Amino acid sequence: MENNQQLLHKSIVYGISSLLLIPILATFIYSLSSSWGATILPDGFSLKWYGELLTDPRFIDAFGRSLFICIASLALATLLVLPMIFVIFYYYPKLDKVMNILILLPFAVPPVVSSVGLLQLYADSTFQLIGTPWILIGTYFTIALPFMYRAIANSFTAINLKDLIDAAHLLGASTSKAFLLIILPNLKKGLLASLFLSFSFLLGEFVFANILVGTRYETLQIYLYNMRQTSGHFTSALVMTYFAFIFLCTWLASRLTRGNNL
Amino acid sequence: MSYVTINKLSKRFGDVTVFEDIEFTIEQGEFVTLLGPSGCGKSTLLRTLAGLDNANKGEIWVDGVDITHTQPQHREIGMVFQSYALFPNMTVEDNVAFGLKMKGISKKQAQGDIQKMLDLVELNGKEKFYPHELSGGQRQRVALARALIVKPRILLLDEPLSALDAKIRKNLRQQILDIQKELNLTTIFVTHDQEEAMLMSDRIFLMNQGEIIQQGKPEDIYTKPENEFVAGFMGHYNLIEAETAKQWFDIAATSKVAIRPESIYIKEAGRQYADHISTPKLATVVTHQLLGNVIRYSLQVENELLTVDLLNRSSERLMPEGSTIELLFNLNEIQPVGV
Repeated sequence: MENNQQLLHKSIVYGISSLLLIPILATFIYSLSSSWGATILPDGFSLKWYGELLTDPRFIDAFGRSLFICIASLALATLLVLPMIFVIFYYYPKLDKVMNILILLPFAVPPVVSSVGLLQLYADSTFQLIGTPWILIGTYFTIALPFMYRAIANSFTAINLKDLIDAAHLLGASTSKAFLLIILPNLKKGLLASLFLSFSFLLGEFVFANILVGTRYETLQIYLYNMRQTSGHFTSALVMTYFAFIFLCTWLASRLTRGNNL
Repeated sequence: MSYVTINKLSKRFGDVTVFEDIEFTIEQGEFVTLLGPSGCGKSTLLRTLAGLDNANKGEIWVDGVDITHTQPQHREIGMVFQSYALFPNMTVEDNVAFGLKMKGISKKQAQGDIQKMLDLVELNGKEKFYPHELSGGQRQRVALARALIVKPRILLLDEPLSALDAKIRKNLRQQILDIQKELNLTTIFVTHDQEEAMLMSDRIFLMNQGEIIQQGKPEDIYTKPENEFVAGFMGHYNLIEAETAKQWFDIAATSKVAIRPESIYIKEAGRQYADHISTPKLATVVTHQLLGNVIRYSLQVENELLTVDLLNRSSERLMPEGSTIELLFNLNEIQPVGV
């Protein structure tokens, strides 16, 4: 009986997992095959699509731009959010409730709607923002905010902030020193986890990038979109490369959050 | 002039007064305890002394200097918290060295001091451990070492034993006392546990609702409670109405009188009692609790319910519920108390 139950549970889990894996696996095989047309099995395997992709300067540029935008927005987010959460938790703990509502706002409005809103807002501005990476960095900051805030706030509640700062004060440390030497090292885990999570999310962002900037600053997703007319093998290789990169990030994130070395 | 002088110190949070016009003095090397029920303002008073909370009014003088508005970093006051407040990202050694590091003394230079301090709290060999790898008692000893290494002028202990289990609490209590005597450290201890306060203190300040109700040596506070609150808080005093006291003991009481459970005797046949142990009364056993070495009886005498403690010499002496016995009172220990 017990064994039967086990078997049932296992078969459900494996069944769903393999179902979910099929498209990825198919894309992977497709990206590796030299051509795969009217036959059941591909004609032959080759790495030429990957070769083509990785030597395409446009791809390398787009990848670089995407990395730049993601890293810049996350750096901005870290710089602003960390001190902000510290101030909220140490001086105004009641504001945490307000923040929890505020950070949901980027999710409450669909990207298409908010990007049109942003276009209208900044279209007439004397300062050219639309079509530059800067507007994307600003927008991505708001998308990353909820992930960052929740994860870091959780780290804050896990430590005894007030007593730790008090103890540091009595031992002669200023508030900023206490924050740098004691609080920050204890937030490392939450911060890294949220950074990786936001990073992989932002790297795959398409709607904002397409509407606000488009081809004027070709990011990875825009590049993928523009390449849709070329060979399917080529775009498959592109998707697989992207997927492998995200997989690496996720794996790193889970490794870092699992470690108990604080 | 005393080493520490508190002058008309008051603290409010918004409209709520935490304590008002607190005044006391402490001599160098003295161990005093702020004792009181939770919410009486004792912890806030301690935090105000440390500079972690600001006083609304009043002055704090230490060693002839007014430190009321000094930043906590410059007060040279050490503190141990109930929650330990150890820095979780640092080893034992780094935790202890933190205060010195803030003074610009490197861990290398301070190696001797750190070792001495860890010896003092019996934690040598644990230098490289992280706080989460230590037991509660060990953590609190790290916190103690961390506070002591910077040679504070006053040591504040905010319920440092409350989170520990009974046996470790007993050991650490003694250890704190030994260190305090060895370093001749002026110490202020906060607790809600009257037994702990009695055992450790040179003097006790008993607080209630933001006021110091009574201060003095432990034995004085225990045997001469000034009012009902003190009598209720210290031990399990019986409070007897003035009218009843007049009838029973023929004393001119204007307020309630207090008598401790161990000052009432259950009369044994054939035993001689001193003259001041008299006024026999008949009582009915309502309940009894076995506390270990003591049996605590709850007895009905006329309209009064009295608590009487008896040494648990042999199990045959356990009086069953409902049985009638004769009580004697130690008249010297009857204490009139104010309201």
